[in-house]
Amino acid sequence: MSGALLEVRGLRAGYGALEVLRGVDLDVAAGELVAVLGPNGAGKSTLLRAISRYDVTLRGGTIVFDGADLTRANTERTVRLGCLQVPEGRQLFGRLSVEDNLRLGAFVRRRGTLETDLRSVYERFPPLAQRRAQHAYTLSGGEQQMLAIGRALMARPKLLMLDEPSTGLAPQIVEQIFAIASELARGGTALLIVEQNAYLTLRHAGRAYVLENGAVALAGTAAELLRDERVKAIYLGGSTA
Amino acid sequence: MLQLLIAGLTVGSEFALIALGIHIILRATRVVNFAQGEFSIVGGLIALTCAEVLHANAWFALAGATLAGFVLGLVFEIVVLRPAGRTGGEAGVTIATIGAVFVLLYGHALVPGWGSDSHPLPGFGGPANIVILSLSKDGGAVVQVQSLWVFALLIAALAALYVFFERTYYGKAIRAAAENPLGARLVGIDVNSARAISVALGIALAAYGGTIIGPITLVGGAAGFALTIKGFVAAIVGGLESPVGCVAGGFVVGVLQVFLQSRMSYDVADPLVYSVLLLMLLVRPQGLFGRRDVVRD
Ligand SMILES: Nc1ncnc2c1ncn2[C@@H]1O[C@H](COP(=O)(O)OP(=O)(O)O)[C@@H](O)[C@H]1O
Ligand SMILES: [Mg+2]
Repeated sequence: MSGALLEVRGLRAGYGALEVLRGVDLDVAAGELVAVLGPNGAGKSTLLRAISRYDVTLRGGTIVFDGADLTRANTERTVRLGCLQVPEGRQLFGRLSVEDNLRLGAFVRRRGTLETDLRSVYERFPPLAQRRAQHAYTLSGGEQQMLAIGRALMARPKLLMLDEPSTGLAPQIVEQIFAIASELARGGTALLIVEQNAYLTLRHAGRAYVLENGAVALAGTAAELLRDERVKAIYLGGSTA
Repeated sequence: MLQLLIAGLTVGSEFALIALGIHIILRATRVVNFAQGEFSIVGGLIALTCAEVLHANAWFALAGATLAGFVLGLVFEIVVLRPAGRTGGEAGVTIATIGAVFVLLYGHALVPGWGSDSHPLPGFGGPANIVILSLSKDGGAVVQVQSLWVFALLIAALAALYVFFERTYYGKAIRAAAENPLGARLVGIDVNSARAISVALGIALAAYGGTIIGPITLVGGAAGFALTIKGFVAAIVGGLESPVGCVAGGFVVGVLQVFLQSRMSYDVADPLVYSVLLLMLLVRPQGLFGRRDVVRD
């Protein structure tokens, strides 16, 4: 797939001497919702960290985002380019208000559109509007996930990467989060969602990659993967969301 | 009594500013800057140079010392603390601040015009003394006008810090970077710059404190480390994590010190002030204003 927004080729990366990713190829185009599935420890979070350029040491391969070479970028630059991540643990500013968290999401752009963007985040996530003056740490898990996504949206991302957004959330909140992700993709944003819950994710994704031991074991459209006997056997198991 | 209280609050103002600087730098670097008091001494000496060599009045000397403190703080973070952190982590940064104590202590004595003696700083104007209260028969308390300036300038600094950290976008970005560096990087904040600005603000505050107290206590000399410790005690008493606590703690330590010194020799009074630190750590480690849940980090 050429002309994708994000192109990862032969990516090898890890922590110090530990090699976690052993040659990963992956593409995401504008308006696509792509899932990365795989068991715990497969290297899914490592992949997102490598793209966002923090904690992970790159050892080979290329990451091109919107024409820019991310292997030479730092995290701030990836954000400036429009490549945003909502990481594991959400990394909110707990001692700042909900609204301040959102405003700081626009750190790389600001000027002019901040108030408009703030209003549209509140429209998308009404509970945040009610809690705008509260400290972020007082929010429920679902609200924190909304705030983390809202904060990333304040940067007007071209690509939004979510690391296990369903963790610790009630099923109907998870449905809501995926519905919003699908809506964002329809609006032209590229979505890359890491999940362990394969069945749930494949219902919303267009395509998916299955990561195992730091390499892509399977890739295809969501429909293909849902029919794939290996996927059924290994990842769907008895777990339906 | 009132006289002692006012004297205590005056020196307490300096301890409060040292404690606040320690608090701001700790928040950004997770490390206690043991050179905070030395920077305060150097700040006072820079004000002295502004006044004597450049013939600046007390206000320009204060502005010059504060600005110089800010620049010194930037240099300190970028040239000393950051490399120390890269190789030695938080322990490395702590040791670097202790190293800075000695460099500043022995270094400032070599500067022509500074030496190892104490010097008077010009005052901020007004009459020397005024009587503010005459409740008692003996004519009430005589207050040095310079004490009133110290209170006014302390309040001005606190107001400026409050507005910066609570009301401005950049102030909040710096708080965000201090609270959650990864979260800050993920919204595009340059965490290294934010940390350098925090350290610079902390050092500017030390220089400011050393200058506003200068007309009363003299500037220069070897009192820097004792200042650090009293500021640190103040921060522990009030709560290291709480800016309000740092100020209150400064007043508590200042008043305690003055009262103890009025009753016994310095040699006994100072250890007693320090032992408050141990007492606080045992009884209420989060400080008077701290919350228990933030002690662990
Ligand atoms: N910060 C780290 N330092 C060292 N090893 C790590 C670190 N984070 C993850 N790992 C290791 O990298 C491998 C992949 O982890 P991760 O990317 O978090 O997997 P996943 O997100 O798919 O569960 C695991 O073996 C894990 O132990
Ligand atoms: Mg993970």
